[in-house]
Amino acid sequence: MALLDVKNLSIDIHGIRPLDGISFHVDKGEILGIVGESGSGKSLTALSVMGLLPLIGGRIERGTITFDGTELTTLPEPAFRKLRGRRIAFITQNPMTSLDPVMRVGAQIDQVARLHLKLDAKAAQVRSIEIMEKLRIPEAATLYHHYPHQLSGGMKQRIVIAMALAADPDLIIADEPTTALDVTIQAQIIDLLVELVRDRDLALILITHDMGVVAQTCDRVVVLYAGRIAESHAVQAIFANPRHPYTKALIRCIPREDTVPGSLTGIPGAVPSVAHYPSGCRYHPRCARRGPPCDGIVPALDRPMGGGEIACHFPEGMGNVHV
Amino acid sequence: MSDLVTLRGLGKRFESRKGLFGKARAMMAVSDVTLDIPRGKVTGVVGESGCGKSTLARLVLRLLEPSAGEIQFDNVNLRALSAPTLRRLRRRMQMVFQDPYSAIDPRYSMADALLEPFQIQGIKLGAAEARAKVESLLAMVGLGAQMATSYPHQLSGGQRQRIGIARALALEPDFLVLDEPTASLDVSIQAQIISLLEKLQAELGLTYLFISHDLGLVRYFCDRIVVMYLGRVVEILPDPQAAPRHPYTRTLLESNFVPDPTQRREIRRLTGEIASAFDLPPGCAFAARCPNADDLCRRVRPELITDPGGHASACHHPL
Repeated sequence: MALLDVKNLSIDIHGIRPLDGISFHVDKGEILGIVGESGSGKSLTALSVMGLLPLIGGRIERGTITFDGTELTTLPEPAFRKLRGRRIAFITQNPMTSLDPVMRVGAQIDQVARLHLKLDAKAAQVRSIEIMEKLRIPEAATLYHHYPHQLSGGMKQRIVIAMALAADPDLIIADEPTTALDVTIQAQIIDLLVELVRDRDLALILITHDMGVVAQTCDRVVVLYAGRIAESHAVQAIFANPRHPYTKALIRCIPREDTVPGSLTGIPGAVPSVAHYPSGCRYHPRCARRGPPCDGIVPALDRPMGGGEIACHFPEGMGNVHV
Repeated sequence: MSDLVTLRGLGKRFESRKGLFGKARAMMAVSDVTLDIPRGKVTGVVGESGCGKSTLARLVLRLLEPSAGEIQFDNVNLRALSAPTLRRLRRRMQMVFQDPYSAIDPRYSMADALLEPFQIQGIKLGAAEARAKVESLLAMVGLGAQMATSYPHQLSGGQRQRIGIARALALEPDFLVLDEPTASLDVSIQAQIISLLEKLQAELGLTYLFISHDLGLVRYFCDRIVVMYLGRVVEILPDPQAAPRHPYTRTLLESNFVPDPTQRREIRRLTGEIASAFDLPPGCAFAARCPNADDLCRRVRPELITDPGGHASACHHPL
């Protein structure tokens, strides 16, 4: 059984449905990438699993979220609180949303272990510095006493990761953890997260818009478009043989070594807003392969023989049957 | 092939105070940049935050007053020009900003925004002429004529950036400085905008200075790449596929995540972080993070040396 199993999840925020029938799972020791453009529902997926939808006025309308045998959608808040930050940790894009600006960073890491693992102050400090050292934070014992504003963006994000690790979680959900950082620092942080997953047998859900990050780190990928799953598969299969036209187009948006000048085209149009989702397949107005049923009939999520899932009337590799 | 813009020893010093009564501190945002920007080509400037790339962009157009050095635009010394003469010359050089939202007045319709450059230049257009101008500019950037009556908040990020480009093209310039024009856009829209810039460059024979933090994008889009680190040029690649000689360029290249899971790379560990520009070490600014640094690197700053092929690097121990 998977560590986290999300089935047919739909959510409701003030009468709109920004996530519609999302299913995915992640196992121990596995990195699952959830990828899509802004407005695809990536962050809402994270908030749903963390039980934080009420904070933005949302609720789970349908579906189940099972974590290590416990059903989260019906879990009362006090019980959820024992899980959140303890067994499921959350890393956000901007480290300052997780850090208290007027509290020394070391104390903030201590807090997690003291609250969840009931360590005393001394033991928590020793443990925090140990974790900071593992995260390759130089002079950890000194930085332990610093305030967030004294640290660079990359260091702050390392502190947030240290807080996430402090309670020894089983699952980390990282929502664009490196988007706000410089490229060289981004590479270092991603490298660190991958190493943690491999060493500690954690499960990691990496939410990103960057197909490059996905290709370099993830085991499996879920591609979201406008609140629905377009395609999901093992990372090699997604890149070698993308079946959904959106996946293929998204991969082609990033120039590679062998991209011929002038061949970068992007995807016409833009992701629709929740209030203006098109009928049928939500990608059809931007899709080069669209045909008669696409604007009227929502494509079902198929599970073809070769593995993975795909929701498309005319997947790549089928030929342009409708033209 | 001639150079449209040449920079000689360009520098910009900023001062700041720690607190209201604190001591003034100075930093060189850009130091001693000497660079030729060839006509009809795309010159890319790449680097991380604080490397001085956006300051350089503003210095080139004299939107910021340089503290040192010379800027020649088509053989005219920009620093010697009076404000009115400079303004007239500005028709020929324009800038596209990262955030098109803050570059356009929210109360302006798109037609107003596109006609503003003509007003500033004191060019009078008749009503029919103005309408035709707006329509042709919108068409040039792939937007429909009905867009003329829209306001910025009604547009998507990609559409706003198209307006930003159309506005920069309104006065038919020769030279565009593009300061991270796609950094705040989704990848699918980024690719659209790059493709539009490629098309316009080919059609209009424009010269671009393209500022970016994304080496992958710069390698795709540019004819020549300038790598900056903490205010200085550390390497100039005469051809985008040239192998890096500076360890920093190699680091940037390796930090670029290739969208191909069959080409997974080991990430070389970097010690340390980008130094503060207020407190630069005496030697090479990259020495603290460089795996090859030795005592010489920490003491003596390496000069930028150009080989006969036009490949320049500033490193004591080039790769």
